Amino acid sequence: MKTTPGSRRLMLLALVVLVMIGGQLAVPGFTNLGQLGNQLKIATFLGLFGISQTLVMMAGNQGLDLSVGAAATLGGIVGAALIGSAPAGLLCAVIAAALCGAAIGGLNGFGITFFRVPPLVMTLAMGSLVDGGLIVWSSVMHVNTAASPALVALAGRSVAGVPTVALVWLVSGTLVWWFLDHSAWGRRLMATGANPTAALLTGTRVRVVRMAAYTASGMIAALTGLLLVGYVGQAFLALGTSYVLTSVVVAVIGGVSLGGGRGDYVAVAIAAVFLTVLTSLLTALQIGEAGRQCIFGATLLAFLVVNGWSLSGRVRPA
Amino acid sequence: MKADLIERLHHPRKGWAGGLRSGLNAAWARSATSLPSVVMLLVVVACNAFLQPDFFSADSLSSNLQNAAPVVLVCMAQAVVVLVGELDLSVGAGISLVNCVLAAVPALAGWGTGLTCLAALVAALAAGVCNGLLVGYFKQSALIATFATGAIWFGGALLLMPQPGGTVPQALGDWFAMRVGVLPLAAVPPLAAVLVWAVLQRHRFGRRLIATGSSADAVFKSGIDTRLIKLLAYVLAWLFVFGAAVCISAQTASGDARLGLPYTLNSVAAVVIGGISLAGGRGSMLGAICGALVLVLIGNVIYFAGIPSNYQEVFKGAVIVIALGFTFVSARRPV
Repeated sequence: MKTTPGSRRLMLLALVVLVMIGGQLAVPGFTNLGQLGNQLKIATFLGLFGISQTLVMMAGNQGLDLSVGAAATLGGIVGAALIGSAPAGLLCAVIAAALCGAAIGGLNGFGITFFRVPPLVMTLAMGSLVDGGLIVWSSVMHVNTAASPALVALAGRSVAGVPTVALVWLVSGTLVWWFLDHSAWGRRLMATGANPTAALLTGTRVRVVRMAAYTASGMIAALTGLLLVGYVGQAFLALGTSYVLTSVVVAVIGGVSLGGGRGDYVAVAIAAVFLTVLTSLLTALQIGEAGRQCIFGATLLAFLVVNGWSLSGRVRPA
Repeated sequence: MKADLIERLHHPRKGWAGGLRSGLNAAWARSATSLPSVVMLLVVVACNAFLQPDFFSADSLSSNLQNAAPVVLVCMAQAVVVLVGELDLSVGAGISLVNCVLAAVPALAGWGTGLTCLAALVAALAAGVCNGLLVGYFKQSALIATFATGAIWFGGALLLMPQPGGTVPQALGDWFAMRVGVLPLAAVPPLAAVLVWAVLQRHRFGRRLIATGSSADAVFKSGIDTRLIKLLAYVLAWLFVFGAAVCISAQTASGDARLGLPYTLNSVAAVVIGGISLAGGRGSMLGAICGALVLVLIGNVIYFAGIPSNYQEVFKGAVIVIALGFTFVSARRPV
């Protein structure tokens, strides 16, 4: 069986619809408008972190970014602190958060491309350094952590029933989709992941592409962290921690290959919606955390099997 | 050259003199990768001994050994899996699962200490077989597959023990606290694991395990079932995980489904500090053990130096980054 990006999107969409119908039957009111808006908000953050993971996984070489949580926390804390003190407000905070994230991502990319550190180790070490540094910093300095009204408005308001964060996601998701599928840089990223040697020989600066992918990943994670502060209402340590592994899961379910070179952000975005809806259905059914964890693991395994089928053209020794 | 390699894979011990020489060469080549971690361990021990004058007293040594025993075991487990070229992100959840079995089963089924331990062992080995099948036979990416199974083990642990509580059989705790002369019995499980590994490494299975890690393709083509080797590596690793979980349970004396979770990333960190290549096939167990001890003792050093515990995470991150630097420097030399 071979799955094309189109069939992956359709399968995931069908699953979303299936879960929603199941939810409506089991818990009346599961699909009313307010509820859907909430789900979309939660899915937005998962989907935005999914962009980070999609980019670095596409870049290949067992690409992975386990520092997205730390980058998000840093972005959120720095952003919230700046909004509190600087009159420039939101714009200043956004720029600062983006710079912080880009710095983390850039260092990751530097270690991975030039020192050949495995991405798993590099981003893990970076995450633990940044998290540790933030613990120290927040115990020494006491800065503003509350979200500013502008940020809360950005994350909490709805336009004609559609949450504004979802609009942010729509815009950035479209950009990512266009970038991956229709721009020369996206093609270079795919070529780098699929076959770095061939890409290098045909004139792609493979190292630069990888560096750029990690830098973009850190930057997007930090900006998402700032947005998350607006949604939660406060910046705190471990703000982004819970998104680290779930973002990888979303990318895998969305069909991004861990080997690199294959990926479709539309499918990843639908996967984010699917995972959110599934989680909230399990919560609505009052299945305890034990059951939720088991079903979560089993779902992931099932998708791994599907990925195995769709990649069966590729030979891999045991 | 290749024929010679293949020959040695199948009959590792041919002629004692040649065997000894190649063995020594191999041992040197292996331990060279762990050199940075040995140096790091010596530095950390020196700092610790300087800050804590009674570091080498019997009491302090045995309490340190008790703390280190589970960490060393779980890091050895991770090292086995990494050496075969894979990864296991479910060891932490596995520790939780075994811990919850030990704490919940006596009350649920009314079993004695022996039967409870047996049930826990079966659970651990079943988890190992499951991971090994997924990675070895179904060729799934170890990273994602073990992350998924980890969620399932964690779910199982929560199912057994939704709230922390329960009682681990008293005999385990008593045994763990015992001391024969200066040697605390807590040191026995890690020592046994080291012995098992030392014996295996000198026999066919150990050789094949390392060879599979360094080039699964070549080993497969020379007629060895690499799927089975990977499965067995996971089973061996989970034997060590079981040991680690028993040590932890004996210390805490109760069940907690979240108890084991931090051990996953610590074990990966220890393996990296120990200079074992995540690509598999390169590195020695000595490095992983040193890495584990470094992680345990850093906590001590920070405590006795009077540094706020806030700094612990930064220190750990810094040590890993330094270890990465060492690995980079040593990788530049021709092998």
